[in-house]
Amino acid sequence: MEEEKEAVMVTPGEVLGRTSDVKAGRGAYAALHNNTVYASLTGFRHTVPPAPDSSDLRPTVEVTGHKAHGPVPQPGSVVIARVTKVMARSASADIMCVGPKSVREKFTGIIRQQDVRATEIDKVDMHLSFHPGDIVRALVLSLGDARAYFLSTAKNELGVVSAESIAGATMVPVSWTEMQCPLTGQIEQRKVAKAAS
Amino acid sequence: MEYVSPEGLRLDGRRPMEMRQIRAEIGAVSKADGSAIFEMGNTKVIAAVYGPREVQNRNQQISSHALVRCEYSMANFSTGDRMRKPKGDRRSTEISLVIRQTMEACILTHLLPRSQIDIYVQVLQADGGTRSACINAATLALADAGIPMRDLVTSCSAGYLNSTPLLDLNYVEDSAGGPDVTLGILPKLDKVTLLQMDSKLPIDILENVMQLAIEGCKAIANYIREVLLENTKQLEYRRGV
Repeated sequence: MEEEKEAVMVTPGEVLGRTSDVKAGRGAYAALHNNTVYASLTGFRHTVPPAPDSSDLRPTVEVTGHKAHGPVPQPGSVVIARVTKVMARSASADIMCVGPKSVREKFTGIIRQQDVRATEIDKVDMHLSFHPGDIVRALVLSLGDARAYFLSTAKNELGVVSAESIAGATMVPVSWTEMQCPLTGQIEQRKVAKAAS
Repeated sequence: MEYVSPEGLRLDGRRPMEMRQIRAEIGAVSKADGSAIFEMGNTKVIAAVYGPREVQNRNQQISSHALVRCEYSMANFSTGDRMRKPKGDRRSTEISLVIRQTMEACILTHLLPRSQIDIYVQVLQADGGTRSACINAATLALADAGIPMRDLVTSCSAGYLNSTPLLDLNYVEDSAGGPDVTLGILPKLDKVTLLQMDSKLPIDILENVMQLAIEGCKAIANYIREVLLENTKQLEYRRGV
């Protein structure tokens, strides 16, 4: 069967199918009171065939091509944040990017002592892991408390990706705990993110 | 005074079930996440949407839903008499709350937890039916911002003068002192999200007037859909898909 791309355009509220026939994907939602799938965004309607090994035989219907709103941090998403304050047991950070998208206005995140690294949790020193102004890559653990999202850098790929030394130059990572200033040669302690090779 | 002539024409030449000319434009404010200008006859409204962004007042934050805030204002030059009303007068507060409740009913707030969506609506020119135009402008701005919605909320007003139901009152008809019904619906889901009425009206005539307003809302919804689809085509063309 030729799988042609449907060029049907939909606006919010238009019916895309019944819940017994299709699943609601991105840009669509299912109204349970009448078992109907509606579009929630403006764009092109796409039908994604089900995965071959999936037990659910219904295809997924999506709406794409729309103008997306600014991203909101979700649990499980990887964010880029700037450290704003370092305290004895936590560090505050402003979330600047969610995945590949930049946030138009900041969201506040917090990295707690127990979320800095996966080993030797009791011996973590916050001031040897982060500095104000550092750019860190972190994982959103949860929506957190009333003030900030909970972030974690407890993986090899997470941690400081860019930092400035006292002399004002961008430092070069030399190990997973150290960064070196190219001007003065001074070594500073950081929880460094493993570079994507 | 006679508002409907014996030949069935209104003061501005419309028939009782005719709407004023509608015009809409998307993307009027470049700094906003979504914006729209909406005109119904001589009524002109501009709406801007910012968000989803971080909640500014922490005590108002909802951990499972987005917080929707709305601010309505009329420009000093928007009416015949230049007015200098302080911000937050009773009418602005009431209309802001009405627009906020209407939009809250249609935005899928549970998809954007702990965030805030700000809607700013400003009336540039007022000639009756301003709150209907504000709701339509806000709907367009939200769709332009890409915020997921259950349906496009559209709003329209209707009245009853000279024993005739009238659709989409203008200022002169609005000032006549007759009944004035403002209706907001979700056209595809066929649900009412807003219903306001001034003055008195018998219940059987109210149903006729409401039916007329529903027809007007659906006509506005069709027009708004055309504007959105045209805008999406333009977007797709610029992306080179």
